[in-house]
Amino acid sequence: MDPHDDLEEYLRGDSALSRQYRRDAAAATPHALDRRVLGAARVAQGGRPAYLAPLAFAASVLLSVALVLAIVFGPQRTKRAEPAPHVVHAAARVMDAARVRAPSVWLADIASLRRAGRTQEADTELLRFRSTYPNYPITENALATGVIVDNE
Amino acid sequence: MDAPDEDARLMLRYREGDGHAFAALYARHKDPLYRYLLRQVRNAGAAADLFQEVWSRLVATRARYEPRAKFATYLFHIAHNCSIDFFRRNRHAARSHHADVHSPEPEVPEYQRPDGMAEFVEQQSALLAALGDLPHEQREAFLLHEETGLTIDEIARVMDVPVETAKSRLRYAIRKLKKSLLPAPLPDARPLRTRTI
Repeated sequence: MDPHDDLEEYLRGDSALSRQYRRDAAAATPHALDRRVLGAARVAQGGRPAYLAPLAFAASVLLSVALVLAIVFGPQRTKRAEPAPHVVHAAARVMDAARVRAPSVWLADIASLRRAGRTQEADTELLRFRSTYPNYPITENALATGVIVDNE
Repeated sequence: MDAPDEDARLMLRYREGDGHAFAALYARHKDPLYRYLLRQVRNAGAAADLFQEVWSRLVATRARYEPRAKFATYLFHIAHNCSIDFFRRNRHAARSHHADVHSPEPEVPEYQRPDGMAEFVEQQSALLAALGDLPHEQREAFLLHEETGLTIDEIARVMDVPVETAKSRLRYAIRKLKKSLLPAPLPDARPLRTRTI
């Protein structure tokens, strides 16, 4: 028999060989495998497999208990955790320093106050400026005219 | 490929994040894939491992999927690669894998010996026994056609071989398997056991 003819006959479909194979080969995927593959695909996609639901419930119960404990015992712990006064003052000084304007900006503000006729406020600001920057060279003419030369 | 087939459309939906599309794809291909792997490695445990590996690879590479060919070609190409890796991991099987199609029947690999076959409980017909005796390249060509309906060209693409090689493997498989369809001799008649009271 010519094997080429065998192949052609077989490829036409519905050969005796194919029919027999379909009768004999009936193995199906075990359900355990279905669960594993579909579960893994869900996890890969960001979902949670069904068997994690009880764990999620237990985790939420634990979280609730922890919140209740924090509310009941929380204030004492907060009091104990308050920083010492000297630490607070040091922090305040750092904050004030951060709020201090740069000399050129501060002097420009003073000049603006003078030009606006708010002389008293301008003088107060100038005193604060000199206490903050005692060595900063500044001329009265500059303060009067508002032309500030930045000496920084 | 002109337009994506239904499977390819499902795979594209899955690529975009539709989990139901994956479940549908899985349902359509799981049994042919499982039988292909089971008959290739002839060990239920190994087939189960490979089965999971194939789907894992599909899941892992879903973002790169493009419908360039029939989806079954894509899926079974992954399966083919997984089974090749499996055979390479098995020293005896590797010898069989590289055997020429004209070579005599290969030595039975260790994982196919009776102790490794404990889980392979499906009743073996003469045809399935003959299928198991084929060199696995021939067996694979036959399984790809039977389980997925792939054409010779598509089988060649899955197996990474020239079309003529795929055709040759399928031809030899058919010749050998057809012999198993010949009627077996009738078993000897056994005398009836009689009981006297």
